[in-house]
Amino acid sequence: MDQASVILVWLAYLLYAATFVVFLVGFFTQKPAMSRLGLMVAAAGLASHTVAIVLRGVTAGHFPFAGIYESMVLVAWAIVAVWFVLELCTRIKAVGLYVMPVLLVLLTIALIEYNPPVGLAPALRSDIVVLHVLVMLVAIGCLYVAGGAAIIYLVEDALLRRRKPGGVLGRLPSLASLDRLIYHATLLGLPFLTMGMAAGVIRAEAFSVAGWAIDPMVLLSLAAWVVYLVLIAGRVRAGWSGGAVSWLAVTGLLLLLVIRFAAVPYLSGFHTYGG
Amino acid sequence: MLVVVAGISHKTAPLELRERLALDEETAVRLARELLDTGVACEAVALSTCNRTELYLYARDSLAARQAALAHMASHAGVDPGELEPSMYSHSGDGAIAHLFRVTASLDSMVVGEAQIVAQMKAAYQQAYEGGCTSVVFNRLFRHALEVGKRVRTETAIGERPVSVSSAAVELALQVFGKLRGRTVLIVGAGETSELTATHLRSRGVEDMLVTTRTLAGAEDLARRVGGRAVAIEDLEEHLVKADIVISSTSAPHYIIRREHVERALKRRRHRPVFFIDIAVPRDLDPEIDRVRNAYLYDLDDLRHVVDQNCHERKKEARHAERIVEQELTSINDWLRSLEVVPTIATLREAVEQIRQSELERLGGRISGLDEEQRAQVEMLTTSIVNKILHIPTVALKEVAGRDQCYVYVDAVRKLFDLDGAEAAGAGGGRPGPAESSPDAPAGPPASAPVHRLRGTGTEDA
Repeated sequence: MDQASVILVWLAYLLYAATFVVFLVGFFTQKPAMSRLGLMVAAAGLASHTVAIVLRGVTAGHFPFAGIYESMVLVAWAIVAVWFVLELCTRIKAVGLYVMPVLLVLLTIALIEYNPPVGLAPALRSDIVVLHVLVMLVAIGCLYVAGGAAIIYLVEDALLRRRKPGGVLGRLPSLASLDRLIYHATLLGLPFLTMGMAAGVIRAEAFSVAGWAIDPMVLLSLAAWVVYLVLIAGRVRAGWSGGAVSWLAVTGLLLLLVIRFAAVPYLSGFHTYGG
Repeated sequence: MLVVVAGISHKTAPLELRERLALDEETAVRLARELLDTGVACEAVALSTCNRTELYLYARDSLAARQAALAHMASHAGVDPGELEPSMYSHSGDGAIAHLFRVTASLDSMVVGEAQIVAQMKAAYQQAYEGGCTSVVFNRLFRHALEVGKRVRTETAIGERPVSVSSAAVELALQVFGKLRGRTVLIVGAGETSELTATHLRSRGVEDMLVTTRTLAGAEDLARRVGGRAVAIEDLEEHLVKADIVISSTSAPHYIIRREHVERALKRRRHRPVFFIDIAVPRDLDPEIDRVRNAYLYDLDDLRHVVDQNCHERKKEARHAERIVEQELTSINDWLRSLEVVPTIATLREAVEQIRQSELERLGGRISGLDEEQRAQVEMLTTSIVNKILHIPTVALKEVAGRDQCYVYVDAVRKLFDLDGAEAAGAGGGRPGPAESSPDAPAGPPASAPVHRLRGTGTEDA
């Protein structure tokens, strides 16, 4: 059964790669049909991806979040799901060009680090851990998308200031629409990040994990949380927009990346989620 | 018979002459009709835009057609033909068709890639059609030309990027704001380019336009023209707070808006982005403004640079368009050749002979009882029926061959016997039969041929 799941992950991988190609072609030829086709291929990838996760969960006998393979597949799934919903609502096509390579990187890592399903470590057998993982996934999906939109915003801003319209610039979405996407994605992601962190703290307290409060991963998460809070507050209270918001979103994204790829596997003393 | 074009354009004649030769709808049709009445041409279309006046003729003799076109155009404009002669160009045959396609594809326009010409060509053709000046060849040819124009628009990016200062400015504003509906524009100082930009912005949905100039009377005057409201220049800083787009073109010798003003205004408008367009020389806006976050400033040089880049892009795209024109030229030529008498008679005979053969084959089982001689008689009988039936149209076609209107008969025969469909089916090895649809079915004007209007083309061939 796990074989079927891995095949589906591969299928999703190929479909996302195809989506990326279709989006690239659509970006340079500006054919609306291409972006529609891309969305359809991405939807097929998402479906395959979803079934793969369900199968893996059934085989493993638990919500599949243990080990690098499972967690990467899940994170990729969260990103594509959030992006897909936001794309349908906003139709800002260029963001797909950022999301697809990110997915491909995450799934490459997953497939390299593949491990057969194993039972959960005793420390992870807890409802609150599953809740923690679930809400974090939503948060990561939203905040990665916000970060991507912010990167595009900053590139576009630089192109405008360097007087390089033409070619690429004309094909990018307007600054105003990116600005809205960053705000909405962060607005959606922040509450989930808060919940996820709260669940983590409750779990650590309940099991009396020593020194959790000064763990690098926890501190970095707190920093990311503050960055996003400042972003939302600045936007709502002081009317920030554009450049400032984008820089904050990119900073937040960098912190999330450091947490996921440096702090969790190498620095954190107790966070076994990454395997 | 061949297609001939004669006329003048921005490439050969100065504006003064073009103005005198310009035709309104009515005179265009009258001119075409006059040329038909002289007998020099069988079909005629007159095209007149502010950049060109051209006559398209389907004529026997290209030289005579050119002379007649020259004489009639000159007399309509009240110009001496000798004066018009040096500015006039003419093409015939392939050259004329290629010219028509290139004009429709806006490859011959003053601003290559501008979108107006397709509509103008369509109107010219439609008037000629309604005035009874076109027939088989031009109905097909001009429909084809309009298709070429459309194909070039959709398959190349020739009209995509704006190539005038005002439309480039609007395009940049769109890049910042996405939609312009609900945005506020502040116009400082009157000027042709700023007025043009304002008009473009309005057509993109901008409703609120504040206009201010050195004097309130001047502002009121400009405001009336662009549909905005005049405000006092003394409150400039107040208005800056409201404005999303600022267009400045005063003749002031110094900067009228400085970085500090913009910083203060941005703070008060909660850092919502502002796009500044400075089209004044010397500049009105402090270049430092561009360093303020969420403020973007483009001056005249920047905009010209954008326009240059876009023109360069268009030239690249024009090469693709030329290839499309070449392809389409081959396809229309195939059709024109089919209008000749001799090949048509051959095709007709072949098609009917095929029908005879296949019918005999179909009967094969039922006449199997006949002996050799009887079968030969059946062969002979059917052949002679076919020959008798074909005799009259064949003779008629040979008779009209060489006459001006012969292609009308040829076209009719090809349609009545579905020869183009039969040829295609024959080529595919199938039996001749009714084609699903003849590729050149209706000979009317394209009632609803879509005319592409593209965003961001400010300079039209109007």
